[in-house]
Formats: sequence, structure tokens, C-alpha cells
Amino acid sequence: MQPFAFSSTPLEQERLRGELADSGAGGYVSFEGWVRDHNEGRTVQRLEYEAFEALALKEGERIVNEAVARFGVTHAACLHRLGSLDIGELAVWVGVSAVHRGEAFAACRYIIDAVKHRVPIWKKEHYTDGDSGWVNCERCAAAAHEHDHGHDAAHAGDDFASLHHPHGHAPVHDYSRQIALPEVGRAGQARLAAASVLVVGAGGLGVPVLQYLAAAGIGRLGIVDGDVVEASNLHRQPLYGVADVGRPKAAVAAEHLRALNRDVRLEVHETLATAENIDALVKHYDLVVECTDNFRAKFLVSDAVVRALKPAVFASVHQYEGQVQVYRPLPHWPCLRCLWPEAPRDGLVGNCAEAGVLGPVPATLGAMQAMQVLKRLLGLDAGEAPSLVTVDLLSLETRRLIAQRNPQCDHDAPGATAVAAAGQAPLELEFGTLAEAFESGLELVDIRETWERMHDPPGLQIPTHLPLSALVNGYVEFPTEGRYLIVCAHGVRSLSVTEQLRAQGLTEVYSLRGGLAALHS
Amino acid sequence: MNRIEIQYFAVLRERAGVSRELVETAAATAADLYDELAARHDFGLPRGMLRVAVNDEFADWSQRLAAGDRVVFIPPVAGG
Repeated sequence: MQPFAFSSTPLEQERLRGELADSGAGGYVSFEGWVRDHNEGRTVQRLEYEAFEALALKEGERIVNEAVARFGVTHAACLHRLGSLDIGELAVWVGVSAVHRGEAFAACRYIIDAVKHRVPIWKKEHYTDGDSGWVNCERCAAAAHEHDHGHDAAHAGDDFASLHHPHGHAPVHDYSRQIALPEVGRAGQARLAAASVLVVGAGGLGVPVLQYLAAAGIGRLGIVDGDVVEASNLHRQPLYGVADVGRPKAAVAAEHLRALNRDVRLEVHETLATAENIDALVKHYDLVVECTDNFRAKFLVSDAVVRALKPAVFASVHQYEGQVQVYRPLPHWPCLRCLWPEAPRDGLVGNCAEAGVLGPVPATLGAMQAMQVLKRLLGLDAGEAPSLVTVDLLSLETRRLIAQRNPQCDHDAPGATAVAAAGQAPLELEFGTLAEAFESGLELVDIRETWERMHDPPGLQIPTHLPLSALVNGYVEFPTEGRYLIVCAHGVRSLSVTEQLRAQGLTEVYSLRGGLAALHS
Repeated sequence: MNRIEIQYFAVLRERAGVSRELVETAAATAADLYDELAARHDFGLPRGMLRVAVNDEFADWSQRLAAGDRVVFIPPVAGG
């Protein structure tokens, strides 16, 4: 039988039930939706159902197939009435046969909930006072979600309670509160489900971005992060827990987000964004959200989205403040380089590790980024002028500064992200252990902050310590000659310092690739 | 002399010790104003790394100032 069909004549549930029979099935669950004589305090005389049939059939079939795949049931089908129905008539029928009852209940519930949310069917109620009105079924599904308002009857040969908690299967994600917005609606929800978004960095900004985009039902989310969860991240990245410390961020984020919403396809990219991989990553997504904590990565992303003609949302925080910038690949929209022609150097203005930050600051800016993504995908940004928005969480002041494309900007110049030119020594060196690094003949220089060194194991300490904050503020100066290996926690700050020192004429200076985190103990 | 309202962000706010101030200045352009304030507050950030906005619009450093202008100095921010 067809997985999903419409009928303008009364449904014959007994015949349908027979078609689901299977010698391997140990149970059968069905749901019947009946026409009820009242709705929201008004007495209903009869109903009319109308559907956008071509679309509705496709979506209905998709739902039934999803349920079969997701719950592993034997057979499933759904039939919906169209046309005029009297009180007590059968309006919708769902039947599922399965090896065990648990998955049959779960699949049945999944199908009826999803049909009410996703299939374009409208219901016109005729009231006893002669009045009538169209009711969108997804609205009535939203209400049913909170308090079962009783126009449904469940038929099952087994315990009724399991319909509500079907053996550990999570209830279906419900988008009704955003669909209820006139600017969103079912069409908007479909746009979100069809969209793909790449989130670069799963830290203080990335966590709320990922959470709200996954919750909103973005179809495909890519997560780029090469770090592991650290205990010092948790205060501003509450997607992670203490038990996650030491585990790779991108994978852990995907795990928690999967628990939040199974509708979203999550793609884990366990890597830092690099000049080598950024174009390939960006290519596969509709939109990019830049959530890293360093200029190197920010400019890498900006250059890549300019080349790929993709929209992007950038944000940064510093202590109690932050900035948000939306990029659109339109002729008059500025890129990151238009705004900052002299690519800023990392370390000149602090990142979270150096400058300190309260959790709600990146959370606010990240939520603003997520909102800009939804705005773009839903087309709610018509007529918006390009701008940089500054937010001060202490004074609660925001400021929208109108920005323009810089005619002198070449938009994707590899200035800040320059990789070593041919013939020039590599910027980064890789070592297996700290001992090997010491044996290299280079002098190791630890540029981490003092507090970052407090938990270094004894015997594995780097004697030469020039904290980046002191270097940047000019309290200490880097020697003008010598052979050095610059070391930090993850190799991002050290690479930036190495580039600056090379630019100042120091030739034998290198960055420890991946930082101390990449070494074997 | 023009009376100009100034707002600072991020490291500039830290160096200045205030997030906004009202100054009486003879500075003719945004660049002159920054140089004057950088000397007073010891900003240490080269002008080329910053952006200036006048009356809520990004402006060139050569922009001429008028009494009552609101000037914002914005350093780039990297934290995430």
C-alpha cells in the first residue's frame, strides 16, 4: 500500500489494518483522529479539509518512510480525509506493525505528530452559529502538545501510557513556537530545514550559535574545532560538562546537539581552520558563522567566504564588549578586510585566555550571531545596510555603525594569513615530545600567561617565559637575534608571534605546531 | 574649539579609564583628534589598526570634525 494517501470518501480502517499484517510482526498500533464537536469554546457542526496535494503527498510519504527507518518498524501507513466531514467521522488514520510494541507506539506517535506539523493541510470549522473559520492544523498540533485536547482517540492492544513515553524514544522536536511567527510559518521552517551552516569554532561564541541553530532545525550543521574541552572553558561554554574535559570539542558538541535535535545532520570537522582546508570546508555550506578567538582564523574565513561568494556572520568579544558583523556577497557589502585594512595582529588586543571574560558576554554575541543567521535564511534582512554592531554588556549600550566597502580593498589578500613563501623556512615545526623540542637546538620561549603555566608538570617546564601580554604591552622585548621555538597552548598565539618576529627580521624563529596540547607526554 | 563626544571600546577604554568623555578640542580631523587623545591616554595603538566612526558611520581619518560630533574609536577585537 501507499505510505501516505488522501481520500475524499470515508476511510476503511479495517481494510487498511489488514494490509499492514505481517507474519513477523508481534504488534500493531493505530491512531485515529476524529471530528470533534467543539474547539476553543465554540460548538463545531462539521469540518472541511483541504490540502496542497502535490506537496502534501510527498511530505506525508517522507514522514512515513522516516518513521520506518528511524524506529525499525515492519510496515507503516497514514491516510488523511479531504472534503466535508461530520462530527464523529474518521479524519486521519495511522497504522504501524512491528516486531515489538515499543517501536510501534513510537513510530505511530511520530507519524501523527509530524503529519500535523509538516503536511500542508487546512481545516475549516463550521460552527453552530453559522460562522466558519480556517484552522491551520499545525497550530492545533501545538496546542495538543501542551494539553491533550481530546479530539484524538488511541486504539492499541497494549498499555496506553506507553504512547506518551514510548520506551525511551524521544518525542518529536516541535517548531510550533517559531512557525507561529507570521514571518516564519511552514515555508520558513522548510527553508531552515533545507539550509546548511558551517560554524567555525565551538567555543564561547560557537556554543550558543550551535545550540540555537540546532534547536531551530537547520538541516545540516558543520562544526569546525581542533581543540579539546578544557576545564577553563566550561564557565562560558556550558554545552560541555566536567566529564567532557579532555575530549575533542567538535565531536562532543555534536553528541550533545544530537541529543537536542535529531532532525539536524551534524558534521564534525575535528581540525583548526587553516589556509589549506578553509576553502574546501566553506564550499559545502550555504552560510558560515565565524566564532574563533583569533584574527588569523577570522581573516581566513573572511577571505574564503569572499572567494566562495557565501554570506557569513562574524563576532568577537573582549571582556565586557563585543562586535558583530554580517557579510553578504553583494557589491556594496564590506568584508572583514574592508573594515580592518591593516590586518590586526593577534596579541595586540587580548583574547579570552589573556583578557578574561564572563560567560554571558560571548553568549549574548553568539545568540546575536545565531539570530543573524536565521534572519538571512528566512529573508528577514531585506533593506538592511551593512554595519558593525558594538555591544557593551556593562552599560547595556549597543551601537550600529554603518560600514561601507573599501574601494582600495582587494578583499581576499592573504596578508594576515600569509603562509611561508617558497624558499622561506616554514613557520611551524612539529615535535613529538617536549624533550625532542629541547634537543632541537632552538631556545624554547613560552609565551603563555603566568596562570596557564601553573599546572605544568614538574620537570616539563620551559625556563624562558615571555608572556604575550607583557610582549604586547612592551613590558618585555624579544631579543633581536638567536634561534627560537615559540610555544603556547595550542599553537595559535605562537604562530602569530612567529609571523611578527619574522616580519621584524628574525629569521630563525619557529612556532611549535599545535602547541603543548599536540605533544605526547 | 569644538566640543566633541567621544566613545572608546575594548583596549582603548581600558587605557583611557572611561568609556566616554566630552572634550574641547582644536583638532580639525578625526586623525588629529586621535593623535591628541593617544598622547593624553598613552594608547600605544597605531591609528592604522583602528577604525573611527563619526555620527554612527565609519569615516575616513581625514574626516573633518564639527561641534557636537559623536566620535567612536574602535579597535579590532579577537576573543571568542
